[in-house]
Amino acid sequence: MSTVAFPARSRPDYGGAVVTGMREFEDEQDEYVHSVAARLVGGDETALEEIFDRWSALVHTYALRALRDTHDAEDVTQQVFVAAWRSRHTLVPSRSALPAWLIGIARHKIADTRAARSRDADRARAAAQVPEDHLVQESADSEIADRLVVRQAVDELPDPRRTIVFLAFWEGLSHAEIADTVGLPLGTVKSHVRRGLVKLHQQLEGVRHDSR
Amino acid sequence: MTHVEIDRLAELVLAPDDSPAEVRRHVESCSECAVTLAALSDVRRMVGEDALVPVPAGVRAHVMAQVGLATAPTASTSTVLTDDVVRPLTRPPVAAEGPPRRRGGIPMWAAGLAAGIALVAGLGIGRVTGGGPASPQPEAQDPAAVVAAADLTALDSDADRGVASAVESDDTVTLRVSARELGGDEGFHEVWLLNVDGTRMVALGVLAGGDSGEFQVPRGLLDQGYRIVDISVEPEDGDPTHSGVSLARGELA
Repeated sequence: MSTVAFPARSRPDYGGAVVTGMREFEDEQDEYVHSVAARLVGGDETALEEIFDRWSALVHTYALRALRDTHDAEDVTQQVFVAAWRSRHTLVPSRSALPAWLIGIARHKIADTRAARSRDADRARAAAQVPEDHLVQESADSEIADRLVVRQAVDELPDPRRTIVFLAFWEGLSHAEIADTVGLPLGTVKSHVRRGLVKLHQQLEGVRHDSR
Repeated sequence: MTHVEIDRLAELVLAPDDSPAEVRRHVESCSECAVTLAALSDVRRMVGEDALVPVPAGVRAHVMAQVGLATAPTASTSTVLTDDVVRPLTRPPVAAEGPPRRRGGIPMWAAGLAAGIALVAGLGIGRVTGGGPASPQPEAQDPAAVVAAADLTALDSDADRGVASAVESDDTVTLRVSARELGGDEGFHEVWLLNVDGTRMVALGVLAGGDSGEFQVPRGLLDQGYRIVDISVEPEDGDPTHSGVSLARGELA
């Protein structure tokens, strides 16, 4: 594994400073999400472009996993953002409302696509299985959405926290190994992993709350 | 009851051995903290997902075209496509069609076109009327004579996108398109002739070999006002209508 090490820091208060700076960064991020949502509601066209750039991969990946078809996934993505613009007055801006709202719209578009598919399929055969399948799919879908929200939340963490969280959760490195790799004190690494997990949790809770 | 800090709960999830015994004891007797602990464990379980898959580049342009916004991410284009420009052109055909078309039935090519016409009119009528093709020279030696040409430019700027020329020979006109820098959006490039009346268009064909192509055009078309060369990017979705995303345009004169 090749990882670019961060410059070694020996100052013991470094961790504290990083964590404080991190909190400001997170506040700015939340503030941005809130303000771009407000701009969308206000009919600002560039807000839709920014929202597309930030969340289209999330929506697209969600549709791709749920529908397992690249063409349908692209269609759904397109429909979601067009629908987002057209129903922008229904959005109540909050820190996590935007991704939650987009995922909610995506869930409906995915269901529509499935409904269209089953209309095309053998009706009699489909009718016997639909109710149960439907519930199973719904719950599988929401698990997918949760996992992808977590993934994006990690991607959006500022470094070095992002790298540290990746090494811990994706590469399975121990805290001591991470400290060696990135050249930060063990305590700082632990703090980043802890704060990272809490941040992911908060992000996910916000999205879950706002999408219900 | 005083709850434990969420960081301590995260620590309990991540490194139970490091976690003080009193944190564990508290969670055992506090349902609220137990719920948070369970949620943190859930998140810990949900990591490991592969990277998100970006959507192909053309989708963004389609979204913007469908909601009636500019297709290019520059601020200047959005002002071209104001409602005032779009409505007189698009309302009649959309209303007559009934069910909305797959792409929302907004002929964006018409919207941009209207602005283009306004621009040409503003620059001087002479370019439209006086600059048109004269009758073929009776003395012409070359059986194929260029009767009209157009500089192609991007819609949102004057950036050069190549040239198109109409070459006349006997009863047919051949449109030679030599475009450049059409961009890397996914899909193929299709050439259209738009009528200067802003309501009609003809598809000429696809630029299959790079950015250049030749298209036979019935001679009458140009005379009827089909003089605006338009190059669109089309997704491979089988929809024969204009995608609404124009990469280059120029009027034959």
